[in-house]
Amino acid sequence: MRRRIVLHALIETPMKTPALRPAALALLATLAAGNAAAATEPAATVQLEKKIDLLSQQIEAMKAELQQLKAQNQALSDQQQQTQQQVTQQQASADNGVKLWGYGEIYYDRPVHDTSATSADLARAVFGIGYNFDERTQFNSEFEIEHAVTSSSDPGEFEVEQFYVNHQFTDKMAGKAGLFLIPSGLINLSHEPTNFYGVHRNFVETLIIPSTWREGGVAVTGNTDAGLSWDVGLTTGVDLAKWTINPSEPPASANDLKDLAPLQASHQELAQASAQNLSQYLAVNYKGIPGFTAGASVFTGQSQFQKGLARNQRTTLWEAHTRWTPGQADLSAVYARGHISNTAEVNQLYPGAANPLPADFYGYYLQAAYNVWKRDSYRLAPFLRWERFNLGSRYDGVPMGFNANGQPTERVWTYGANFYLNPHVVLKADYQMFQQNSRFDRLDLGLGLNF
Amino acid sequence: MNARLLLLPLAPLAVATPAWATTYLSVEQAQALMFPSTLLTPDFITLSDVQAQAIEKAAGSKLSNRNLRAWRAADGGWFLVDGVIGKHELIGYAVALSADGTLRQVEILDYRESYGGEVRLPAWRQQFVGKKAGDAVTLDDDIKNISGATLSCRHVTEGVRRLLATYAVVLAARR
Repeated sequence: MRRRIVLHALIETPMKTPALRPAALALLATLAAGNAAAATEPAATVQLEKKIDLLSQQIEAMKAELQQLKAQNQALSDQQQQTQQQVTQQQASADNGVKLWGYGEIYYDRPVHDTSATSADLARAVFGIGYNFDERTQFNSEFEIEHAVTSSSDPGEFEVEQFYVNHQFTDKMAGKAGLFLIPSGLINLSHEPTNFYGVHRNFVETLIIPSTWREGGVAVTGNTDAGLSWDVGLTTGVDLAKWTINPSEPPASANDLKDLAPLQASHQELAQASAQNLSQYLAVNYKGIPGFTAGASVFTGQSQFQKGLARNQRTTLWEAHTRWTPGQADLSAVYARGHISNTAEVNQLYPGAANPLPADFYGYYLQAAYNVWKRDSYRLAPFLRWERFNLGSRYDGVPMGFNANGQPTERVWTYGANFYLNPHVVLKADYQMFQQNSRFDRLDLGLGLNF
Repeated sequence: MNARLLLLPLAPLAVATPAWATTYLSVEQAQALMFPSTLLTPDFITLSDVQAQAIEKAAGSKLSNRNLRAWRAADGGWFLVDGVIGKHELIGYAVALSADGTLRQVEILDYRESYGGEVRLPAWRQQFVGKKAGDAVTLDDDIKNISGATLSCRHVTEGVRRLLATYAVVLAARR
């Protein structure tokens, strides 16, 4: 009778755990065999009962063990969930706060042929503020004070360098609107002093590509897993009405060349910008091989030098850039070329102008740097850069004999070193030799930081 | 007007996959990706002062968090989840180690910066595969940098180096 109850209980009890099934089957087999033999062997019956008792005890023990395992599993699962929550909270607190950052640079320039013009300048002090509205929408801004003091009687400027909202549509595509950087060349998007060699930014990416170049508008950006990224935008652009065709005096130093650089002199930076004609740009970059970057961009837009002209002037700038860091070396090159259409009509209105509107301008550089010494966070990287640039390589509508074939091309050698105290603080020294305007030759010292 | 908008119409041509942003992989998705059909058991550890110091010394950078989020894999490997700050924002990432502590895979779980997202590129993450505690894992020397994503690259590299050191100091003895 007892045997039957045990048997019944075993059959009726749902077998939740696969591990128990073989045990039950074995028991059934034993019982069946036992039943057949029971009538003839009472002694065997007793033995069988003992066996069943033993098995029953074992099943109880297994049940207890199973309960314990279940409890352990639950505890681990709770723990995992709790950690997940902690991680989410940690990420949320890192996301939702206001972000602050900054960078800046101080220059000491000593023109070697005219040391009376030696100058020291807190060239830039920049503070950035960002805010995350939600997981996909963020605000970024940068405010810049150039030359330390800004007032009507001081040389400084207070500028909004970036002010835009970025919204991530998908993990491969985002859009932005506001005042943002134009993706041209190597420096413009990474213009902090720790990111370039030499005290001053190179001439190509100052005079041909007017870094820090920003315009107001909208843009869409995206990338692929293969390392290809693209950026297309509709923005304010150059306003050639800002071009000074007859400057009051020629440039006294290399820093003054900015006033004669077509895009540097005419880009608008969203300061009550003329928006009658919007510009467009397209940039593509490939970063699919670690340590190697190559890219190109084109920016084009129309404006009018002055009212009443028969045709607008279209300004187009295209560039290609590459950077490769094999071993301890850091090699880079940028080629940029600009064109302004319909300049003949403008220049014919101002015959003999000191600074006619160029039809073409271009520049390129090759640069090599090498980490010669590293210890802890210190790093010393000497570099050498060869640049050629021409702010007016061709003019239309200028009188014969006056730069009709363009200005002579400037060539500059820059050699020096960046010494990093850590990745965020750099001391710089370099010497620049100008082949055309050798009076600009200078020794530069600098301090840069970025956090 | 149409003639002027030369480039903008190109934008829709380049539209890519529709997955939602910033969180690229959840912890569960990363587990399934990095340890397919392998049982993972949570083994979360709060590092002691001695352990933290040993890890910091071996890795050459400071730990930001003493709570190690580790899962022990049935095959003896480890699944680790960590976070580092890129420039301003947290980058969540996961690392899979083999039973002998060799790095098998790095996945970026979430990324929020406007720039520098190239740390997600498979080719960049591939550079860590095969690294072990004690191996040189330094940006620019052993791990190539990505131009324009320097801070993200640097901090993820430092994070991976800390996790490899953590394996050597803590996890190797727990097998």
